[in-house]
Amino acid sequence: MSDSSLSLRISHAFGGFDLDVNQDIPLDGVTALFGPSGSGKTSLLNAIAGFLRPASGHIRFGSTSWFNDAEKTWTPPHRRGVGSVFQDAQLFPHLNVRQNLDYAHRRALTDKPAHSYAKIVSAMQLEPLLERRPQTLSGGEKQRVAIARTLLTRPDLLLLDEPLSALDNARKGELLPFLEALKFEFALPTLYVSHDVDEVSRIADRVIMLEAGQVIASGQTDEVLSRFGLEAGRNPYEETSTIVGAVDRTEDDLLAVKIGAATIWLAADIHIEPGSQIRLGIAARDVSIALEKPSEISIQNMIAATVKSIQPTKRPAFQTVTLEVDGQVLQARVTRKAVKDLALEPGRDVFALIKSATFHP
Amino acid sequence: MPDLSSLWLTARLALVTTFVLLIIGTPLAWWLAQTQSRFKPVIEAFIALPLVLPPTVLGFYLLIAISPNAPFGGFWLQATGDTLSFSFTGLVIGSVIYSFPFMIQPLQSAFEGPVQQAIRTAASLRASKLDAFFTVAVPMSVRGFVTAIVLSFAHTLGEFGVVLMVGGNIPDRTRVASIEIYENVETLNYGDAHALSLILLIVSFLTLFCVFLFNRRFPAHVRL
Repeated sequence: MSDSSLSLRISHAFGGFDLDVNQDIPLDGVTALFGPSGSGKTSLLNAIAGFLRPASGHIRFGSTSWFNDAEKTWTPPHRRGVGSVFQDAQLFPHLNVRQNLDYAHRRALTDKPAHSYAKIVSAMQLEPLLERRPQTLSGGEKQRVAIARTLLTRPDLLLLDEPLSALDNARKGELLPFLEALKFEFALPTLYVSHDVDEVSRIADRVIMLEAGQVIASGQTDEVLSRFGLEAGRNPYEETSTIVGAVDRTEDDLLAVKIGAATIWLAADIHIEPGSQIRLGIAARDVSIALEKPSEISIQNMIAATVKSIQPTKRPAFQTVTLEVDGQVLQARVTRKAVKDLALEPGRDVFALIKSATFHP
Repeated sequence: MPDLSSLWLTARLALVTTFVLLIIGTPLAWWLAQTQSRFKPVIEAFIALPLVLPPTVLGFYLLIAISPNAPFGGFWLQATGDTLSFSFTGLVIGSVIYSFPFMIQPLQSAFEGPVQQAIRTAASLRASKLDAFFTVAVPMSVRGFVTAIVLSFAHTLGEFGVVLMVGGNIPDRTRVASIEIYENVETLNYGDAHALSLILLIVSFLTLFCVFLFNRRFPAHVRL
């Protein structure tokens, strides 16, 4: 293990799922923890910050141990040098902005190099806000105060827990430049929790993808996002059906995923244990419909389905056909002409041809 | 003119009781606000008991517990050379138990939710637990403290049953205002009963009025 990484070996059982993470995170730049809600991102952050004591494993920051189950050692949150910025800023309501900042400043370790109070205040543009009460600030202003307050503690590691999620789109746009400034001017190792592709691709150097308490992928931001078919500017959740399947086996670098009796093949550049449940994202425009099972065709994924309903789309030439596959919903986007030519109607048995499927984050 | 010594005794009892309750109630309420212990409901039910139990029942058990023949009462007699029953200290013990929920419940609800989150935030800003308690939890819970202190004080002012059982009716020692009023009525001394009752009524009203006035100016938790 390198001296400059955050080494995580964490197992912890919750009511609904098990957090099981075995990951070394380099201590430079911004690492995004990316995944749907309930995937364990925040629990992992809590374990790193010291708010959750895992059932077993260890957490090491460089050469410093924060938690070791075998040695029964545990460093409480206030001695870890971890600065956290929470979703809702969490400014102290009984103090004004200046007092909130001073609270952190007074408790900083003085033997560490630090950016000056004035520099931090000016980087977050807080001069006009110093005498205001937190209740009178906008969401974006609160987050800027919270970020400055955390920087003033001279942290060794910064944890940002969806700092933009409580803001509307306009406010997000206002705050993003500050987060980028944070990255370039203050250059602290940062863990950034998010489920927003745009944010992640803009801020993170690398991505750790979580699903149901496990790391399912990690690597450079562009590489991981593209492997999962996620691109900035494209909402991965739009017009996409989510199908749950079970990993069956790997064959010819393809991963066989069972959906009921049918099998879908995916490029298997990550290893997933057979038997694991995974969620597949299938874009409606990647699904075609055939009345009979085509025999000589490059598309590998053909599964029997039943038409449930047909709805218009915003563009008159297209219609969305909702199919039922093994009790799950799969949407196909086909032309209105195709619906007419194939005489598609609810109740009709068809084959869904799936051009591509991705792991759904 | 009624005997004002009973009023003075009552005020002293209420002050001492409130102070003792504040000292032992604050850590207990803090523990209750953050514990996930499965014994929490049992403890909460125990603390709330004085709300529903007849004061005479409470007083009866207390009387037995503090009698010199009982282990606790005997220990006290050995340690201090004085008996607890029919003493001011005995009254304080009785009042503390009797007013317990009035201190604990407002404090506990003040300490829950936003304050617990703020404590974590303080920890992330390098504040130790004790530091965070005094610099974040206490100032954020001012209203809870005021409510708890005033309710405990006012409730102790008005107690009767427990005092009668534990302390009896000894002038200057255990004869508090409520008992003096009872005594006056028994002896058909309605004038003094009126005077004392009116004083208690006014004091109680003013105390509560101050709380509500304060609460109006000080929102429960200043929301973000």
